[in-house]
Order: sequence, then C-alpha cells, then structure tokens
Amino acid sequence: MRTRLTPEERQARAAIVADEARFEALLEAAFRVKAPAAASGMRPRRARWPTVLALAASMVLAAGAWFGLRTELPRHDVSPLAPEVIAHIRHEPASLVVTASTVSREEFDSVLRGGRATLAAPVGRVSYAKLCPFRGRMVAHFVVQGEHGPVTVMLLRDEDVAAPTPIDEDGFVGTLVPVEGGGSVAIVGEPDESLEEIRDRLLQAVRWSI
Amino acid sequence: MKAKIFHLGERRRFERVVGGLRDDLYRYAMWLSRDPQVAEDVVQESLLRAWKGLDGLQDESKARQWLVTIVRREFLRHRERQREEPTDPVDLEAIAGDEVDPRVQDLQAAIFALDESYREPLALQVLMGHSTDEIAALLGMSQGAVLTRLHRAREKLKQAFLEDGTLDPEQS
Repeated sequence: MRTRLTPEERQARAAIVADEARFEALLEAAFRVKAPAAASGMRPRRARWPTVLALAASMVLAAGAWFGLRTELPRHDVSPLAPEVIAHIRHEPASLVVTASTVSREEFDSVLRGGRATLAAPVGRVSYAKLCPFRGRMVAHFVVQGEHGPVTVMLLRDEDVAAPTPIDEDGFVGTLVPVEGGGSVAIVGEPDESLEEIRDRLLQAVRWSI
Repeated sequence: MKAKIFHLGERRRFERVVGGLRDDLYRYAMWLSRDPQVAEDVVQESLLRAWKGLDGLQDESKARQWLVTIVRREFLRHRERQREEPTDPVDLEAIAGDEVDPRVQDLQAAIFALDESYREPLALQVLMGHSTDEIAALLGMSQGAVLTRLHRAREKLKQAFLEDGTLDPEQS
C-alpha cells in the first residue's frame, strides 16, 4: 500500500483518530466541499423550466418590483458566515423548539469545555446544548429561551470578525459579535426577538479556555 | 393582481423552505454522484420538482427530509438515464477543488473511494444531519443495519486516513 506519511504525521493522525470530536470535525470538513458560487441562487443552465413556470417566475419578480419589496439584504451588509450558521441551526431542528426543559449544569459545562469556552456568569435558561462540528472545528452550540422563542448561540472561538455583523438569513436574524481577545459569538433568533440583552450577558460572560 | 400576490407568497415560502439548505443539497448530490456537474443538474431538477410540489409540504419542519428525498429520487432517475448514455467518470480533483488541508484532502479521497452503500448513509448523517431512523426510513433499511454501515464507514475512513487517504479496494 502506498504511504507518504512521515512517522510524525502518522502519529499525529493516530491522535486525531483516537479523538472522536477531532475526527468528526475533519470528516465534516471533508464532506463540505465548496458549493458552486451560484448555489444560493441556482439558475437552470439548460432551458428546462416549463414556459408557464418561467412566466410565473417573471410575474413574481414583477410583483416584487411593483410593491418595492426586498426579500434579501445586500450581501455586503450581512456576515458571510451567516448562511453557514443558519444552515447549521436548521440541521438541528430540536434546537428550534420552544421547550420548558433545561439542560443540566454538568451537561452544559461539558459542551462548553468541548468548545474550549467557559461562561463566567449565567446567561439564562439553557434548553439545548450540543458540541457541534462547524467549519472544521468543534464549537459549543446552545439555546437560551428568549421572550418569543429559542435564541441560538454558537461560540466561535476560531472565527474572528472585526466588528458586530448582522445576520439576516432565511427568516432568522441575529448578529456575530467579536469577543475580546479573538473569536466571536453568533446569536440568532426569530425576527421579533430582542437579542441585545442576551448578547450583552454573553459578551460579559464568555471566556476561551485552552 | 391577486395571482401575482399569490406567487410572491409562494416564492417567499419556497425560499424559506429551501433557504440555507441549497449548498448542502448540492454537496449531498455531489457525494452521491461523485460528479459536480451531475450534482448541479440533480439539484436544479430537484428544486424545480420541489417548487411544483410545494403545496404537498404540510409541515415545514420536515423540509430537510422532504428535500433530501426529492434529491435522492432525482439522482436515481439521473443514474437510470446515465446507464443508457454513459459519461466519463470524474476524478477526485474536480471535487476537492481548492481544499488545502492534506488531512481533509485525504479524507475526501477516502470518501470518494468508499462504496455507495457506506458513503450515502454517512453523507446523510454528517452532512444532512439525519438521525439513524431517518436514514433507515429513507434507505429502506433497519436502524441496526444503518448503525452497522455508519460504524464500518468510519472504520474504513479512519484506516484510510492513517494511510494518507488510500482505501484498500477490497475494503471499499
């Protein structure tokens, strides 16, 4: 069998294989091949749309223009991370449920540890917490129940943002906020949810661990 | 004018349902077909079918499973057509693109070489976030069989990962 790994590389890989979380993060990164640039707004490359549907699409666009409706914010106004954050949240529908259940302190701490983070102060009732692969890293993903429904928080230690950046994607709104010393926090909720209070509590509380 | 308003509402619903899933639907189709061009075609056709059948989706929380089912059926249709008009196989580089991490590259090579019976359930779990019972329902298998496939798929990939992505053909 062909082998080009050095003994050191092989040893490093053996360590990854032995660490389930690290292997799973790499596995997800491998599956997440780059999608075509047009994937977020794919158009048929061949003329396959039936005439009636094409006409309907034209009518939709015309109606949108007529009413001056805007369904998407300009891309430069939103975070490029937003689609991935929202896609990740949608992958875990259990996190979107309004629930009275509460994650135990031990379980929540374990998720935070896995995401190499701690919280120096409580941030509210946590109804869901899971260690998740995200862009090749394991991150803490948890949900705080807000006034109007679940508010999702992802602690992104390895994703730097220069300034608070809005998320407006797929019916969800939120923000990516930089954490002092590096990394960021994604906070996402329903459009009518007030996220400022949770954001402020989080920024006061979050600490990265080694 | 009422018709226009109706279509606008439908389009918004469609965007809400499909929304952030488009890229992952493409990736799922890509790992099924191992061909980016085929994946694009399959997703295009699937989204068209989804648009036409949007009324049939009563529960939007099931949109992910609904769309995956549509993509899978469309892929199977495509494969049937391909049997009649075979095309040249695609090499791995067309898939891996600009990935620079050799560890990820090697895992992609191993996934590429994995037999479809292992590759698909793993893609459904890792990429689409399907539970084992959702995978079992989609593939028409028992949950036990799905768990076995997922376990073996990972074992094969781990073995290949330690051998720089090379999957023993007899083990794929």
